[in-house]
Amino acid sequence: MEQLTLARVEEGRHGEEEARGSQYLTFSAGGQMYGIGILAIKEIIQYGGISTVPLVPEFISGVINLRGSVVPVVDLAARFSGQPTRPTGRSCIIIVEAQEEDEIQDVGVVVDSVSGVLDFLPADIEPAPAFGTHIKAEFISGMGRVNGHFIMLLNVQRVLALDALLSNGSAALQ
Amino acid sequence: MNLERALQTFIEESRELLSAMEDALLALESAPGDGDAINAVFRAMHTIKGSAGLFGLDAIVEFTHVAESVMDRVRSDEIAVDESLIALMLRCRDHLVTLIDDLASGQQGEHAAVGAALVQALQALLGGGSNATVAVATENAAPQPEAGANATTGEGVGNDAWHISVRFAGNLLRNGYDPLSFVRYLATLSEILHVEPVTDALPPAQEMDPEECYLGFEIRLAAGPAQADIEAAFEFVQDDCSLLILPPHAPLTDYALLIATRPEADEQLGALLVSCGALTEAEVAQVLSAADATPELVVAATPAPAVAPAAAPAARQGREATTVKRSSSAIRVDASKLDQLIDLVGELVIAGASAEVMARRSRDRNLMEANSSVSQLVDAIRDSALRLRMVEIGETFNRFRRVVRDVSQELGKEIELTITGAETELDKSVVERIGDPLMHLVRNAMDHGIETAEVRVQQGKPAAGSLKLHAYHDSGSIVIEISDDGRGLDKERILAKAQERGLVAAGQTLSDQEIYGLIFQPGFSTAEQVTNLSGRGVGMDVVRRNIDALRGAIELDSRPGVGTTVSIRLPLTLAIIEGFLVGVGEAAYIIPLDSVVECIELDHGAIGQQNYLNLRGRVLPFLRLRELFHSRGQPARRQNVVVVRYAGQSAGLVVDRLMGEFQTVIKPLGRMFRHLRGFAGSTILGSGEVALILDVQDLIRTATERHCHAAEIAAECVETV
Repeated sequence: MEQLTLARVEEGRHGEEEARGSQYLTFSAGGQMYGIGILAIKEIIQYGGISTVPLVPEFISGVINLRGSVVPVVDLAARFSGQPTRPTGRSCIIIVEAQEEDEIQDVGVVVDSVSGVLDFLPADIEPAPAFGTHIKAEFISGMGRVNGHFIMLLNVQRVLALDALLSNGSAALQ
Repeated sequence: MNLERALQTFIEESRELLSAMEDALLALESAPGDGDAINAVFRAMHTIKGSAGLFGLDAIVEFTHVAESVMDRVRSDEIAVDESLIALMLRCRDHLVTLIDDLASGQQGEHAAVGAALVQALQALLGGGSNATVAVATENAAPQPEAGANATTGEGVGNDAWHISVRFAGNLLRNGYDPLSFVRYLATLSEILHVEPVTDALPPAQEMDPEECYLGFEIRLAAGPAQADIEAAFEFVQDDCSLLILPPHAPLTDYALLIATRPEADEQLGALLVSCGALTEAEVAQVLSAADATPELVVAATPAPAVAPAAAPAARQGREATTVKRSSSAIRVDASKLDQLIDLVGELVIAGASAEVMARRSRDRNLMEANSSVSQLVDAIRDSALRLRMVEIGETFNRFRRVVRDVSQELGKEIELTITGAETELDKSVVERIGDPLMHLVRNAMDHGIETAEVRVQQGKPAAGSLKLHAYHDSGSIVIEISDDGRGLDKERILAKAQERGLVAAGQTLSDQEIYGLIFQPGFSTAEQVTNLSGRGVGMDVVRRNIDALRGAIELDSRPGVGTTVSIRLPLTLAIIEGFLVGVGEAAYIIPLDSVVECIELDHGAIGQQNYLNLRGRVLPFLRLRELFHSRGQPARRQNVVVVRYAGQSAGLVVDRLMGEFQTVIKPLGRMFRHLRGFAGSTILGSGEVALILDVQDLIRTATERHCHAAEIAAECVETV
């Protein structure tokens, strides 16, 4: 089993932390490179074992059994571009701690492949542009500069704030 | 130990004791001679007093002391148990609840007047009896009349204080008691004049077991407390100690008995008694010479009261029994720890299932056998782990005895409460949230439902109204019924009121159920007079909202002049349920087995596109789950209909595959899916996959609503055309 658990440090608000210099896990989803601050990440597991949940938006792949607890899984590519991920041998699910109000819930994020962990100094992180990216500016906490190109550093809490979206999406049954 | 946390424990314990006390008092109302109940009340007062003393909460100590004294007199049959006593003790209990609540919230309310009035009433009960029992614990100077009486018998010794001789059993420390704590407690009763430790039993150091208790004490305690109070100090270690209590000016023969029964050498013990101040040297010499001559005679001639532990064996037994019950019911565990345990057990089940597959593949008979016994144990562990979170609803129901009693008095109505199905179990978290809605319903039934005695008699009903609380399991849910035999709901008035409030358009025809449903609308009340109990138009809608939040349903049935029944249907969240596994498209779903009636094959030829079928001459509407869930993949060639039944309604669910029964653990779906309707939760299958549990009630309800909605739209379309 290809399972690597990353050290996790006690911290309060991931979103704010990310803007300052720290370590980011980089990965690709839907052909794009993104980064997530490692403090928000619990572990990375192999893709698979997803049970679909009916009547939810397409970007929710379903739920998985993570050692006895039921964890929802979000397809990042579908969330950003509407194109669901085609699973390959390198596909992974990154388990992220999402904070909603005062509750912390684990959420899985489907990505095409995980690249590695990069150190970003504060000087390497540019503020998000007001427009020009294919995803909403509020999802981006900063642009990390690596070898002359940029990686979008995600504000995980915003990306995974699904409560509002789901309350609309699940009206289908009614 | 952190004092703040200890105080928290005290508060929690006191609350538990006070609620036990309330139950006991209410039990006494119907059975005034119930010794266990009297003891329970006494113990509540006694234990709270003792613990409050540790924290220096003098107000509570003083108050409980007087109440305890009264209960002690009740125990010894000096005060009769009657209605006024129960009412008084209930008020005392309420006062203590306020005091404890103040303590918990850190506020200082002004309850002194209430307390003083209660103390006065209690003192009046104690009457002209021995003032020693009335005296507040900290006062120890009061001379005791009985002690004086003893002294006049001529045989009494000069010692004007209690003498307590105690030897602890070896296992005292292992049982978690500290010998010193008893001495400390005695100090709260009265002044300890002298303590002489008895260490004769102590073996040489190399033979000593540090976990064994070898100690005893000879204690001289200033006069003041009653013998029962002193005995009570040792209540919890009755079996683990040998206790002799000699009253002030006890006859010399008592001391002779003391010396004779103790294992220590007579001379040595005599010396101890002298240094304690209990006896003078001359008295010791007298005792010893008498003991040498005729020890048997001394034992035989000893007056009974001196042998304290044997004095009231019956009462003691009662106390022991309740003590045992207490310790078996008093484990406090954090709910999250239980959840964690259940998660782990769930994983164990899954891991066990895959081990079983491996074992079967290996074809090793021994391995298979070993594995099957492991999985049996795992199943048993899972079942008991799940049961840990389940509590009986009886405790919640019992709270209403008091409510019914008080409210019926306030209203001047006679109401009898009958409780059935108290042993029905449901999840702790549900129990906690069902109390308030039930309270509203019970009060409503008493206030609006049940008529006054005169009206009832006029109508040929018994003068006493009847209120019933009933709980039972049905179709994987728990049903709680609150029924009264009152006047029932007035349909005309509800309808008129609803029209007046604009909730219903004039001329609209509604079914009975719909009319009754109106009372759950916000701001709806038909009570002509607003009482302080109900009728303010808040209540029923709050009840509805609370029940909805628990994903439950509430229904009301009423017959004019006969009564009203409110049934609340709640899911047994986190309970273990028997499920029926079905496949729809690629996914697996679980239907609670209790709601499954039968399975039949779907005859495509006869059905066509319609969504109902002929089930033995009756129309059965069905839902095609494939369409409802927008499932991908090809439908199965032979589809099946699972006939489900919920709250008297039947419906069919069309599925692709039937996969058999499956015992499942409900796992909540989490915040992300809380808006998702039609699912009661999720579960993990033996393969490790997650399957969703269908909420049959919700599916039927939403299908009905949607149908009505569609019909309305269609009707509107016709009108506009």
